[in-house]
Amino acid sequence: MQPYQEQYIENTKEISRLNNGRFDADGEFSQWLETGRQADEKMEALRRENVRLLNDHLFPQLDGIYDAAPEAIADLEAFAAVLMDWSTNLDCGVYVLIHDSLLSMYRIRRDRTNVIKELYLLGMGLYYQNRSLSGIERKYTNPYFFQNEMVFTEGGSYLKFFPEIQEEATKGYIIRCLANIAICTPDYKRRIRVSARILNIVQDADYRAMAPDLPWDTFLRRTHQQMSSNRQVMGRGDLSPQELMQVLESCVEVFKPEAESATPNVRWLWPYYEMEYTCGFADVKTTAERLEHLIRGASYDQYDVSGLYANVQLPINYGKLMRNNPSLQENPARVAFLAEAYEKMMRTMMTYPGEKSNDLFQYYVRLVMCDYFEMRGLESYRSVLEKLLRHFFGRLYVRSRRTGEMLARFCETIIEQSPDFFDDIPFLKVCDSPERKRAALRDYALACGLFHDLGEAKMNMQRVWLIRNPFEKEHQMAMLHTQAAYDEFIHRESTRMFADVALGHHSWYQGGGYPENYVRNQSPYRQMTDVVAVVAHLIEQAKDGPEAAIQSVLSQEGTRFSPMVTAFLGEDSLRRDLAAMLTADDAPFYREIYDAEHAV
Amino acid sequence: MSKAYAVIDCGEGRGKVLFSSPGFDAGAVTQKIDLCDQKQIWISGNDDMEQENEKLRQLLLEAEAANTAKEAFLSNMSHDIRTPMNAIVGMTALAKKHIDEKARVADALDKIETASAHLLSLINNVLDMSRINSGRMQIAKAPFFLSDLLHDLLIIVRPQATQKRHTLRFRRGKILSEYLFGDLLRLRQIYVNVINNAVKYTPDGGEITIFVGEEMRGDQCALIFRCEDNGVGMSEDFLQRIFQPFERVQSTTASKIEGTGLGMSIVKKLIEAMDGTIEITSSLDEGTAVTVTIPMAYEDVRMDTSALRGKSMLIIEADEDVETVYRNYLGEAGLAYHIVPSFPEAISALTEADYGGRQYDVAIIGKKVEEADNIFDMAAYLKKAYPNLVLVLVSEDQWSDIEYRANRSGIDAFIPVPFFRKSLVNGLNRALSGQEARTDDFGAPDLRGKHILLVEDNEINRMIALELLKSTQAQVDEAEDGQQAVERFIASEPGHYDLILMDIQMPIKDGYAATKEIRHSGRPDAAGVKIFAMTANAFAEDIAKAFDAGMNGHLSKPIDIQQFMRALRTI
Repeated sequence: MQPYQEQYIENTKEISRLNNGRFDADGEFSQWLETGRQADEKMEALRRENVRLLNDHLFPQLDGIYDAAPEAIADLEAFAAVLMDWSTNLDCGVYVLIHDSLLSMYRIRRDRTNVIKELYLLGMGLYYQNRSLSGIERKYTNPYFFQNEMVFTEGGSYLKFFPEIQEEATKGYIIRCLANIAICTPDYKRRIRVSARILNIVQDADYRAMAPDLPWDTFLRRTHQQMSSNRQVMGRGDLSPQELMQVLESCVEVFKPEAESATPNVRWLWPYYEMEYTCGFADVKTTAERLEHLIRGASYDQYDVSGLYANVQLPINYGKLMRNNPSLQENPARVAFLAEAYEKMMRTMMTYPGEKSNDLFQYYVRLVMCDYFEMRGLESYRSVLEKLLRHFFGRLYVRSRRTGEMLARFCETIIEQSPDFFDDIPFLKVCDSPERKRAALRDYALACGLFHDLGEAKMNMQRVWLIRNPFEKEHQMAMLHTQAAYDEFIHRESTRMFADVALGHHSWYQGGGYPENYVRNQSPYRQMTDVVAVVAHLIEQAKDGPEAAIQSVLSQEGTRFSPMVTAFLGEDSLRRDLAAMLTADDAPFYREIYDAEHAV
Repeated sequence: MSKAYAVIDCGEGRGKVLFSSPGFDAGAVTQKIDLCDQKQIWISGNDDMEQENEKLRQLLLEAEAANTAKEAFLSNMSHDIRTPMNAIVGMTALAKKHIDEKARVADALDKIETASAHLLSLINNVLDMSRINSGRMQIAKAPFFLSDLLHDLLIIVRPQATQKRHTLRFRRGKILSEYLFGDLLRLRQIYVNVINNAVKYTPDGGEITIFVGEEMRGDQCALIFRCEDNGVGMSEDFLQRIFQPFERVQSTTASKIEGTGLGMSIVKKLIEAMDGTIEITSSLDEGTAVTVTIPMAYEDVRMDTSALRGKSMLIIEADEDVETVYRNYLGEAGLAYHIVPSFPEAISALTEADYGGRQYDVAIIGKKVEEADNIFDMAAYLKKAYPNLVLVLVSEDQWSDIEYRANRSGIDAFIPVPFFRKSLVNGLNRALSGQEARTDDFGAPDLRGKHILLVEDNEINRMIALELLKSTQAQVDEAEDGQQAVERFIASEPGHYDLILMDIQMPIKDGYAATKEIRHSGRPDAAGVKIFAMTANAFAEDIAKAFDAGMNGHLSKPIDIQQFMRALRTI
């Protein structure tokens, strides 16, 4: 590897280490705060260094990739391999960039062997990169998954050349590409079709004979696993008998031996039970009891892979079972069990001692954000989100709290001068006294500030931003954070009032911005969304000083920002207070994190 | 005995006959009518009286019926005009109230725009009826391509169908000739009316199928258009009245249906004026089928496929009907192509061809592909993997709606759907010859080096036209009336002007007279210079009159940018 590559890796690892311990320091608050700030400074310095390394070395190298020497290519491949090796995701974005460039180069050179290899590696990179999009409505993320599917499809299309390709490794890439089409496509029928095809291929004696050293049995097992992941769609009723049989066969193949062993692993046992439920072999009561048994069997402080599965995945599955079966919701004992299971789940999450930003753990954080079931008798989704934000996304929490406080101050002036300004918001309109209305508005503003960027947490965007500046594609993906939050808020009672604010705060008043599906006029929360847009922009522009930030807002009055909101910036006291809040010490918000952490 | 009369002096000369008509019989007087100065009219005879009275009664009934119809007309009109007017007045007030809130104002303006469009269509319909009834309507016979008509038609009707989640299918029958002669505007009016009715009277999620085919009838080509829906249908009773003005289907499911109730009357009269027929079959709650058959003159147009020979084409198309069209048009021309239904299979085919040493020259992304949501992503992927592959998009969308994404994804050419031989071959020719193939209807053509004479008396209109022409970079001269236009033309070097845009109603000399004078000026370029009429008089007879005066084309005012640019592209 070249020195800049080694340096980049070292920096990135150090950022990851610093970030992981950023909020875990011991001692009094002042010491804790100081340690954290020092870590922030170090991370920022490393981030800048990383940006320089990419600008000065990697990008010029990729620019001249078509003339690259074999040693330089080997170095790039080695660099990429360290950045992402399936278990460690140091920097998936740079990994994708490198393999995309290498693929272009090999295409030009008409080097089929390496084209196939690069298609596989690029496909894997895209797959990992796209993980941040899970839980967002598919129609908005489709282009990313489709590109991934196409890369694997192209790699798999070389199956026609299987007999004439000499290298076994290349043949392995072809098989892997083919199989991985199934992990990208949203169409479950296509998934089943693809997996069925691979099952045929990997069991075909002729193919095996053409590449005897390939791990065919591993391919077979993995393909069965992939096929068995379709068990959840078996209950839909639109699978053909043959498709049902194919999924069922794989489920039995994968889960049954484990399920029947003396000490079954919960990660295999539950899918087996789930398959029995979706196939109608077990009723909902039996399934609920089985889940209860599995959840009770794990202690909250089991943090290994199986422990996390039992403590986080299974309570979430229990919630899903309850959501899909209203009869379970009528049983107080089951509701009480779920409340307890969720409580244990949160305890496991909050006390998890490992690296919080790793892919596996982030999967669980996202799982809770996406699939937490809200109903009377359970902790509200809003409360759970607040805890997750504070514990796992400290920087975002601090920024969002500042946004909330500024919003509350802004709204105070607005309602003072224009009492019916927010009256399109139903719960404010019905307030029977000005005092109550002011109080309700303040609470709402604080919460809007806190939750408006929840999508950033759901997509775990901080991870890239800490390492370097985002690439264009990552920036495009990050724009989906508004949709990411909306999709969760809109489906739950305790957060529905934040959905439009989360969706629309990057939308422009006169049209433009994003996303396109936010229709200002149709939202009763539009006035608050307009205020959030202004405050979020002030905070974003604060680096140039409060006055410059305010001027930036005013210069876009009527275009980007609502003139009805910006008009209030003419009020001196509001302007003065906002300017002061922009530069105020953020220690009080960190204090909230500290207090919450030390209360656990 | 026949009726006769006499004027009688009943005063001093009591009973004196002052004068009488032949056959007057003083002994058989049946009626006496007082006049002034003690004079009377005596009428004798009554054998025709009953007949006369009957006639009068009939006339009275007819007059009363006409009066009732007039009142019904006024009542309907009053309601139909008031409805959109209410929206316009109400939304204007609302916009004023929220004048500082741009988004609300914009929303109100959108609604005003919709209501105004409806009002305009109502007025147009009434005017059409009036013109038809007074016999002042003319049917043009200008050449047009069937595919253009059908593409425009689908563009117009698809949004409403989509809004109601209808499945709108297009089926083609045998097409004998794509190049027809007829009144394109009126044909479109007929078909749009028929389809709009299907959309209106089919509940959400319904199915509408449009069929177009041709049959030879004598020496003419009968253009057969059929629209079938599974909507609310019509009763036998209503079917009898469907072509009467202001008749609308009333039903609980269609109670909010808007419309003037004049559409089908106009359709019927237009079809009759084209010597065509319309047949409607319908069953309540089952649906309706409308078949319009119109005889058309036609011409065989041969397409030059020489540029396509030796080229290898990959077609991604999952619609079997369209697949058949490809087979017909490309197959009969002996062109090489391979059809796959999906993108993954396209990738496989391209990979295989690439390493098999027989690369594809063109990939046609068809009307229906299995991954319809990902067309542009797929195009981008193909362009990146195969930079030399020419990408042609076949789409039902309007090019202006998809242009941005299509350009970004690397699509080289566009063929609108439905297509026949002409649009397919032309599209492929353009794509493969590397010409600018995008049918960018709104984009200005590059007219550097061209000279245009703009003849327009209205200053604002002139400014608008100049603004549009500016983007073409053509050299534009101006004239404010027909006389100036003739003088400028005569004073210019022969061949100087490539196009004259001629207003019609102008002081001193109108556009028709000016055109005739230019054509008869005796200059070598007098016959060849292109002259396009620009007029708000958009009736077929105005168009005919423009052609009669020697003009080459007709542009309606206010200027339709798309039409304007299309015309400019012809020079």
